[in-house]
Amino acid sequence: MSMLVADGLTHRFGSERALDNVDLVLDTGEHMAVLGDNGAGKTTLLRILATALRPTSGRLTIAGLDAFGERRRLRHYLGYVAHAPGLYPALSARENLEFFCDLQDVDRTRVDEALATVGLTSVSHRRAGELSRGMQQRLAIGRAILHDPRLLILDEPDASLGADAADLLAGLMHDRTTVLATHDHALANRLCPRTLVLRHGRSLGTATHLRVVR
Amino acid sequence: MLIAGAAIFFYAPTDYLQGPVQRIFYLHVSSAIAAFGCFAVVLVGGVIYLRNESPAADRFARSGALVGVVFTTVTLVMGMLWAKTVWGAFWVWDARLTSTLVLWIIYAGYLLVRRLADPGRQAARFAAVVGIFGFIDVPVVHFSVTWWTTQHPGPVIINDALPPQMLATFLFTMACTVVLAAVMIAIRYRIETLVDEREQVFEPAKVLVAREPEPVQ
Amino acid sequence: MNPFRVALAVARKDLRSEWRTREVVPALAQFIILALLIGNFGFQVDSRNAASIAPGILWLALVFAGLVAFGRTFAAEREQASLEAMLMTPASPVAIFAGKAVAASLLLIACEAVMLPALSLFFGTPFSADVVAAVLIATVGMAALGCLFAAMVARVRARELLLPLLTLPLWIPFIIAGGQAVQSAMGLPGSYSEAISLLIDFDILFLVLTSLAARFVLDE
Repeated sequence: MSMLVADGLTHRFGSERALDNVDLVLDTGEHMAVLGDNGAGKTTLLRILATALRPTSGRLTIAGLDAFGERRRLRHYLGYVAHAPGLYPALSARENLEFFCDLQDVDRTRVDEALATVGLTSVSHRRAGELSRGMQQRLAIGRAILHDPRLLILDEPDASLGADAADLLAGLMHDRTTVLATHDHALANRLCPRTLVLRHGRSLGTATHLRVVR
Repeated sequence: MLIAGAAIFFYAPTDYLQGPVQRIFYLHVSSAIAAFGCFAVVLVGGVIYLRNESPAADRFARSGALVGVVFTTVTLVMGMLWAKTVWGAFWVWDARLTSTLVLWIIYAGYLLVRRLADPGRQAARFAAVVGIFGFIDVPVVHFSVTWWTTQHPGPVIINDALPPQMLATFLFTMACTVVLAAVMIAIRYRIETLVDEREQVFEPAKVLVAREPEPVQ
Repeated sequence: MNPFRVALAVARKDLRSEWRTREVVPALAQFIILALLIGNFGFQVDSRNAASIAPGILWLALVFAGLVAFGRTFAAEREQASLEAMLMTPASPVAIFAGKAVAASLLLIACEAVMLPALSLFFGTPFSADVVAAVLIATVGMAALGCLFAAMVARVRARELLLPLLTLPLWIPFIIAGGQAVQSAMGLPGSYSEAISLLIDFDILFLVLTSLAARFVLDE
């Protein structure tokens, strides 16, 4: 059963086309990487898939539901890690997660689990603003899984993570459908059997077991 | 409109108290009424847009706002000319003048929001909200200022009695002005439709979207 | 998901952040004191006209402090991309908005707690419960409107220009009624009770409108 069906997604910022007629189909449990240079439209595409942004035209169906009509319902399914962490610097790591638990009506016990999964248990009391960029990234990832989403949308989650990024992400992605944007071709190859390449907002197609030669 | 102009100057009798300058009154008040009509269009367009995202509704709202601001400016300027001649001061803080000024500011804000927000859905949505709040605010401001003057009584200024010939002229002028406003909105709507079309329809460049796996160099 | 709990959680989070960083309230309080100072010299205040000028200065200071306080509520969120993170949860945008508006009002009220005694001190005007009540009641409605437009302009260019332009026309009724209320409370002619009931009417009207509009402004 298709988890995600995108049809003709186009997005314009003013007269500039960030995304041009992109199609994509993702089955349940599939992992797909999105590759492309800066400005190719990766972030725009991921934001649309995460229902954070409505495309100028095109249709998106997630889990059989119209993504924009049923946004509120779909939020239970979706976990999104944006480009910027979007954390509260004055609050501790733990408090940040607790707040988002409250917003999502999720039991606070999940906070400890999430902290453990991303390896931040030892610094949970420290203010988010004082954490390193990599730790902030982990915290943002931890936040995205608090509600145990079935579909994960990750925008360059590996950007500040260290060498164990692949293991961490593999563990997270394990039984979740995932879309992962990254610059790191090797990581993409290792984690995601399918790849979509974007250039200037257009899809150059999807491929499986891509061998990327640079 | 030309007929209305002629009527104003030759048909209506000179007002006893105020002299020829009083003739500004016809156009001044007609402008004000036309402006309110325009802003009603903005309100309705905005509400419809928020309910079902119809681009046509948004275009009407945009057009209404622009034409409305024009007419409000005319109203204000004429009002000030009249005031200077009749009372000796350009401005008085009474309910009508104050609300008209606030009206002008609100819809100038409306046009600015349109210009500064992301064109398309965001601009339309934000502007609709501004338009709705603005339309409700003006009577509230008018009421507040009126109430204020009851707390601080001062000289009563505006006399609205009209003999029949003047009334006829006035109604005719008003009708002409409103029609003018409607025509201007229609013209503007057409312009906006063309603008929308130009910005949305690009010739998509011919791109081959590959569907089979291929090595990417 | 209970919207009240969401609003409460958001308000608590904002207040806790402010408590830890202490960025907004001290700066605003300083600003208000300076505004009073400027008022004194700008208006040539002496003991005879103090009572008639003080209300005006109060509202001027309040309006500008309000613009800063409410503007910051959403500008700061934006910078941290955290507003989007909140909107990505199933929580209702109106509840999130309400939480932020409540927190921002409380911050402004904290500043008012500095301003009103200072006003009394510098201008010799009476510091009564009537004055406090008028200011508090007006703050509610002004906060709702200020936060709504702050949320709107946070995502738009030239936000510092646009926020006063959009918000002030809607604040005028509050300033008129509130100004009258404070004047009456300080002994000048005019009806206090009428002014207060007007303020309450305005509060109700704009609270309803703002809660209806919030989802169009916050949600994509």
